[in-house]
Amino acid sequence: MSPIIEIKNITKEFKVLNRREGLKGSLKDLFSRDYKTVRAVDNISMSIEQGEIVGYLGPNGAGKSTTIKMMTGVLEPTSGEILVSGCVPYQNRTKNAQEIGVVFGQRSQLWWSLPLIESFRILKDIYQIPDADYDSILTLYKSLVDIEPLLHKPVRQMSLGQRTLSDILAAFLHNPKIVFLDEPTIGLDVSMKSKIRTLIQALNREKHTTVILTTHDMGDVDALCERIVIIDKGRMLYDNDIEHLKRFFGSYRTLRLRIGGDLKAHAASLQTALPECTVSADEEWISVLIDESKANVPDVLAQIQAAHTIRDLQLQEIATEDVIRKIYEEGVQ
Amino acid sequence: MKLKKYLTLTRAGIIESLQYRLSTFVMVIGNLLYLIVVYFLWRAIYNSADSDVVNGMTFYDTLIYLVLATALYGFMEIYAVWEMGRAIQSGKIVLDLLKPMEYRSHLFWSYSGTFIVNFIATFLPTFLVVAIVTHGTIHFGLNLLFFVISVVFAVSINYSIDFLVGTICLYTESIWGINIMKQMVVLLLSGATIPLAFFPDTLRTVVSYLPFQSIYNAPLTLLLNGTPDPQEVLRTIGTQIIWCIVMMLLSKGFWKVSLRQITVNGG
Repeated sequence: MSPIIEIKNITKEFKVLNRREGLKGSLKDLFSRDYKTVRAVDNISMSIEQGEIVGYLGPNGAGKSTTIKMMTGVLEPTSGEILVSGCVPYQNRTKNAQEIGVVFGQRSQLWWSLPLIESFRILKDIYQIPDADYDSILTLYKSLVDIEPLLHKPVRQMSLGQRTLSDILAAFLHNPKIVFLDEPTIGLDVSMKSKIRTLIQALNREKHTTVILTTHDMGDVDALCERIVIIDKGRMLYDNDIEHLKRFFGSYRTLRLRIGGDLKAHAASLQTALPECTVSADEEWISVLIDESKANVPDVLAQIQAAHTIRDLQLQEIATEDVIRKIYEEGVQ
Repeated sequence: MKLKKYLTLTRAGIIESLQYRLSTFVMVIGNLLYLIVVYFLWRAIYNSADSDVVNGMTFYDTLIYLVLATALYGFMEIYAVWEMGRAIQSGKIVLDLLKPMEYRSHLFWSYSGTFIVNFIATFLPTFLVVAIVTHGTIHFGLNLLFFVISVVFAVSINYSIDFLVGTICLYTESIWGINIMKQMVVLLLSGATIPLAFFPDTLRTVVSYLPFQSIYNAPLTLLLNGTPDPQEVLRTIGTQIIWCIVMMLLSKGFWKVSLRQITVNGG
C-alpha cells in the first residue's frame, strides 16, 4: 500500500523583517528592506501510512505548525516534495480540503451562535456528504459519546472541553482520510482529556483515519500514538515507535516529597535504602527519580512512608522538553 | 447539489443574524439619529439657498435620496474588511482556507444571509415609511424592478471592493486605518452622503468613471426616477455590470496573487 502522506526533504524558509528598537528604529522599519531568512523547517522527510496515529512533538516554535500547514496546503514548501493522498496539497487546496479534517486547539471551526447540530448540517452541505453517510456517522458518534445534550446547545455556551469534543467530531464528519489535531487536549481537565483520547482512538479504529497529533502532553502520546516524530529547531530528531523512545526517557518518573528535618541527611539515608533510585534534595523537596522498569512507585512510596512522615508529595511525568534534552545529551538511533 | 453548498451558508447567516436582535434595534436607532442630523443640515442648506430647487433637486428629493442611501448603506455595509482582518490576525483564516470552497465565495455566501435579513429588517421598513410620508413622490412601477436588479449588482461591486481592501490586510496585518479610509472614499464618491448632483462638474466627471457611483447613486437614481428612459436604464445597469465583472476579476486576481505570496513567503 502506498503511503497516504509522503514528504521528501521539505524545507520552509520565512522572510522576516529585521526589526529595530525604539521609536527611531520603528520609523526606519517602515521603509526597511532588510529581511533575514528564517528556516522554520529544515530538510524533513517522512512517510505516513493510512490508519496510523502519529504523535508530532517538539517544543514551541520547533516548526510543527509549519509542517502541518504545508501538509494541509496552506503553505508551500520552499523546497522538497510533498504528496497527500496522491496530490500536491498547495496546488489543489480545495480538493485536498475534502480529504482532510483539522482541529486547531484553541480555535473553533463551528458556527459560534448556532447549536452544534446546525454546524453539522452546514458542514454536511459544504462537504456534500451523502445522507446515508451522514446518518451513519451520527449514529456512530452517538454510540461513542453522549452528544445528545450537546447537539442542541449553541457553541458559545459550551465549555472548552465540550467545544473541543464537538470540533473533533466536526473534523471527522466528512470521513476524511487524514485528520490533523493540533494540541487537542490543551487546557482540559483530566477526565475530559481521557474522554477525548478515547474518542480519537475509537474514530481512528472505526474509520481507519490517519491522525496526526501535535501535543505537549506526554499523556496524549502514551495513550494514542504508536509512532512518534520529534522535531526541534526545524530539524527531525526522532522518528520511530514509542517503545524505542521509552528506552530513553524510560519509564522514569520523579517523586517529590516534603518531609521534616534535615533533608540532606534524609536524602542520603534514602539513597542507601533505595539503591535502584536516584535521590537528591534541595531547600524544600526531596526528589526521587524512579525507573519504573526496576521499581514501582507505590513500593518506593511505602518504603519511604515506613521511615518518615510525608507532609506533601508530587509525582512528575517527564515532559517533552526533558525528552528532547535527553535525546540531545545521549543521542538516539 | 452544487448550489446547496452555498445556500446552506445563506441559511446559517439568516439564523445567525436573527440571534442578535438587539444589535439590529441599536442599528436602527443609530440610523435614526443620523437621519435627524441629515434633516437639519439640509434644511439649513436649503433655507440659505435662493431658490427651492438646488442643483435640480428639491429639499424633499434630497432628503428622500439621503434617507434611502442611509438605509441602503445599513444593509450593504457588512464589515467584510473587519472580518478578514480579524481572521488574518487571529490565524482563523487557516480554518476558512481549509474549507472545500474558495475563500472569496465562502465569505460572500456566509454574508448573504445577513444581506437578506438586513434588507428586510432595515431597508424595507425605511423605504415604506418614506414612501408613505412623502405620499406619491416615489413612483411605484417598473422602476422598482430596475432598482432590485441594480441593488444586486451594487452588492456585488461593494463586496468586491471590500474583499480587495481586506486582501491588503494580508500584507499589513492591520485593518483600522485602511478600513476607515475605504469607508470614507466609498461613502463620498458613491453619492451616499452627498447626492452626486451637488458635486462640482469636474469631480462629477471623475466620479462617473469610478466604480463607486454604481453602488449607491445608480440604484437610487433608478428608484427615484418615476419615468425611466429605457436608454438611461440600460446605460446605468450596463455600467454596473461592467464594474461588477471588472471588480470581481480584480479582487479575485489580487487575492490569488497575495495568497500565493503568503503561502510562498509565509506569514
